[in-house]
Amino acid sequence: MALAFDEFGRPFIILREQDQKTRLRGIDAQKANIAAGKAVARILRSSLGPKGMDKMLQGPDGDVTITNDGATILEQMDVDNQIAKLMVELSRSQDYEIGDGTTGVVVMAGALLEQAERQLDRGIHPIRVAEGYEMASRVAVEHLERISQKFEFDVDNFEPLVKTCMTTLSSKIVNRCKRSLAEIAVKAVLAVADLERRDVNLDLIKVEGKVGGNLEDTELIYGILVDKDMSHPQMPKQIEDAHIAILTCPFEPPKPKTKHKVDIDTVEKFETLRKQEQQYFDEMVQKCKDVGATLVICQWGFDDEANHLLMHRNLPAVRWVGGVELELIAIATGGRIVPRFQELTPEKLGKAGMVREKSFGTTKERMLYIEHCANSKAVTIFIRGGNKMMIEETKRSIHDALCVARNLIRNKSIVYGGGAAEIACSLAVDAAADKYPGVEQYAIRAFAEALDSVPMALAENSGLQPIETLSAVKSQQLKENIPFYGIDCNDVGTNDMREQNVFETLIGKQQQILLATQVVKMILKIDDVISNSEY
Amino acid sequence: MASMMQPQIILLKEGTDTSQGKAQLLSNINAVTAVGDVVRTTLGPRGMDKLIHDDKGSVTISNDGATIMKLLDIVHPAAKILVDIAKSQDSEVGDGTTTVVLLAAEFLKEAKPFVEDGVHSQNLIRSYRTASTLAIEKVKELAVSIEGKSVEEKKGLLAKCAATTLSSKLIGGEKEFFATMVVDAVMAIGDDDRLNLIGIKKVPGGNMRDSFLVDGVAFKKTFSYAGFEQQPKKFDNPKILLLNIELELKSEKENAEIRLSDPSQYQSIVDAEWNIIYDKLDKCVESGAKVVLSRLAIGDLATQYFADRDIFCAGRVAEQDLNRVAAAAGGTVQTSVNNIIPEARRTASIVLRGGADQFIEEAERSLHDAIMIVRRAVKNSTVVPGGGAIDMEISKYLRQHSRTIAGKSQLFINSYAKALEVIPRQLCDNAGFDATDVLNKLRQKHAMQSGEGASYGVDINTGGIADSFANFVWEPAVVKINAINAATEAACLILSVDETVKNPKSESAQGDAAAGAMGRGRGGGRGMRRR
Repeated sequence: MALAFDEFGRPFIILREQDQKTRLRGIDAQKANIAAGKAVARILRSSLGPKGMDKMLQGPDGDVTITNDGATILEQMDVDNQIAKLMVELSRSQDYEIGDGTTGVVVMAGALLEQAERQLDRGIHPIRVAEGYEMASRVAVEHLERISQKFEFDVDNFEPLVKTCMTTLSSKIVNRCKRSLAEIAVKAVLAVADLERRDVNLDLIKVEGKVGGNLEDTELIYGILVDKDMSHPQMPKQIEDAHIAILTCPFEPPKPKTKHKVDIDTVEKFETLRKQEQQYFDEMVQKCKDVGATLVICQWGFDDEANHLLMHRNLPAVRWVGGVELELIAIATGGRIVPRFQELTPEKLGKAGMVREKSFGTTKERMLYIEHCANSKAVTIFIRGGNKMMIEETKRSIHDALCVARNLIRNKSIVYGGGAAEIACSLAVDAAADKYPGVEQYAIRAFAEALDSVPMALAENSGLQPIETLSAVKSQQLKENIPFYGIDCNDVGTNDMREQNVFETLIGKQQQILLATQVVKMILKIDDVISNSEY
Repeated sequence: MASMMQPQIILLKEGTDTSQGKAQLLSNINAVTAVGDVVRTTLGPRGMDKLIHDDKGSVTISNDGATIMKLLDIVHPAAKILVDIAKSQDSEVGDGTTTVVLLAAEFLKEAKPFVEDGVHSQNLIRSYRTASTLAIEKVKELAVSIEGKSVEEKKGLLAKCAATTLSSKLIGGEKEFFATMVVDAVMAIGDDDRLNLIGIKKVPGGNMRDSFLVDGVAFKKTFSYAGFEQQPKKFDNPKILLLNIELELKSEKENAEIRLSDPSQYQSIVDAEWNIIYDKLDKCVESGAKVVLSRLAIGDLATQYFADRDIFCAGRVAEQDLNRVAAAAGGTVQTSVNNIIPEARRTASIVLRGGADQFIEEAERSLHDAIMIVRRAVKNSTVVPGGGAIDMEISKYLRQHSRTIAGKSQLFINSYAKALEVIPRQLCDNAGFDATDVLNKLRQKHAMQSGEGASYGVDINTGGIADSFANFVWEPAVVKINAINAATEAACLILSVDETVKNPKSESAQGDAAAGAMGRGRGGGRGMRRR
């Protein structure tokens, strides 16, 4: 890339390795960036909505992911183009903040870029377009607030929550049993929710999966599920009213951290050493027994000798439990994590009504259920399914549903899905456009048009006539002035999303619009791309 | 130049490239102009951003002149000066980095025809220096002080300054929102000079509007061991213990070795080790601290120990954050376990939210500019109208002044005045307005005898002209003064160079190509280039 030429038309060297760099500037840069952004959006477009298709992604190690979750698809695609990476981050950002609507936000951004391109062709300054978009997004967000409805629910009446989660799940592969999964998700969220503070710590909900069984066997466990079994096969498989000692120290003779050596030169010394070691085990087990523990959960392993001793003393134990699980167990059972045997006291034991080992099918695999805990603020969703991919996808779907339920607890407002909210916003933005003087008016109109692309994609994916369907719904909304009409994706026969029970959270929708606008603005603002030519 | 007839005197090492004379000067000017052209489009509220890949493949999207200049990785010796002045403007006032590069390039561009006509560059330099002194005096004269206003009023005024800076950035859409935040942050730290008291934390996700100001210190949750979740997460008026030690069970001394001959002593060694760590932990608890922060790791044992005693702890806290906590809470970082004395001071953290990493990065840079501007404005508390208004006014003043000078200098000062007009012209160009038209309107306003048109600048919204002062497009006077100073210095420096000697060894093969191009660039001067 040459920046300057001397009077003979030969380039100067101004930048390091100048000839290896490429430079794209002006309208070309914008066009190239828009094309990249659109390409990403096009990939996701077919995944939108209840009739959206899934993508199969093969990782570098040959592992296969099948999903229709926008954030996951983009994450796994491993894009190289910078603008495309921005779109990936956009989707991720929606995922972090809201957890749902990751496909929608990318489709929306793609549509905005497409419209922006047309405005650029008209000769409108890219920043004017971006500013117009920003004004329009404000109008849209305000309009969403106006058409939103508040949901009333409490712990006993969580039907509305279930309905909203069902909308989320309906676009996933698991929609076969969306009702039961939605109920599980809502119950799980309600179990850990702090309704007064309107906050939900999703970390307290553990999602576990195991291949085998049916999707219908998926269950919610008010307690913790650990993918471990008792350390000794002859230990009891079921403990009622368990007092659990949660240890982060191994059942081993203690080792000083400083490098050490024990010199043994006589048989007597060896004998004492051996005895001492045995004594350690004995003391450890005794200590646990003394404080009244009926179950030991240990972060580390223990020797066969200790294992045998524990078995002998009738003290069931579980070993190699991960740190995160250990913490969850501690929270659920109200116990304390004990780093040293000397610290063990009866108050530090966790309490659970029932601890049992359960085996699955014909395999030898077992899992440990810790239920009826003292503090039921930690729950586990246990997913069953035909294959690993199915379980992974179900986990992602459940995550989305959990997020939706959490968002509803944070903010009770909902808007109607099926493209109804987008169509309503499009109408509002279109009407507002006329009030703005100047070039921005065109950009605002373009924004309204871009909003239409979501219902359009929904209709397309559902095999409907996109333009016909959209215009019919739009005119219906405008005529009756009711913002509930959306695309009838499931062919139920009505456009009224209230009847179809298709809801989405208000904050999720608002976030989609704001984030998409933000990223589009950033892309439009770039007029110079300087890169090494290998990119 | 040596005569063709005489044998050459070999003075320099083989392969050394020297270029000299007028041609060299012109070639330097060309290079500088080219660099100026790169950042040209980023000026002003309608300025565009640059996307730059670096060698490692990481990407920066920025509108900040200094950042772009740094990332361009310029090797041309003359053009490098521009990078330096952009950097110095950045560290001195924090904003106006694009302006300074643009001005320097424009000064040189105006000087070029004179150099070509054979004017001695020292003449140019002298006139430019005079002009810059005059210009700075004029800026000082035109500047309006915001001193003596009430705190509330001052805050409003400062927010206006910050908003002007932010309007050219990516977060320009929310400039009022961020301007208030920045002013609050700067006010929070008061007179303290240490800029690092304002921390900017980046959290991807959410929306720009979700960004918020914390009146205190905020840092990201650090890596934690099991047991962390059981610690309380909220304290009222806690004592905070800041440490620079590891709270972990480990060998006290590296490479130490214990030899035991008696196995029964084994237990005592183990106990001794445990006692050391327990002793430390006990002291922490005894100090009455409810929050324990350490720059080094806090191990799982300590985490659980603290959880047991309802104390919050976080290990591996970044040193900067720890220092800010220390400044805020009035403690000092302890390298041993001792008590601290509580005393309140002020600090602030801004938590930035945004859709993409690059977005937040750029937002951080923009906020940095705004913070610097507000701080400068607090200190110097004089502002000038932006939007090219002040540049037009100086330009007019210099033109008028030049007419009173007899001699060549008149022309040079006149060209300096013309160069200053580049700011409003570029503002118009970037916004897609008719620059000539707007500039003529501005000249007319500024030429008014009454002086009422002195604060007219480009109106970016309508494409016409407007009173920048009335529209609250303000920038601190110090930004302009520094920009004019630095740009003039750089221009003079480049004008005073008439020979470049390039040492072949420090350059690689690519450097040779540069030398070749440069040598030819001299216009075929022979004899000096040796291959």
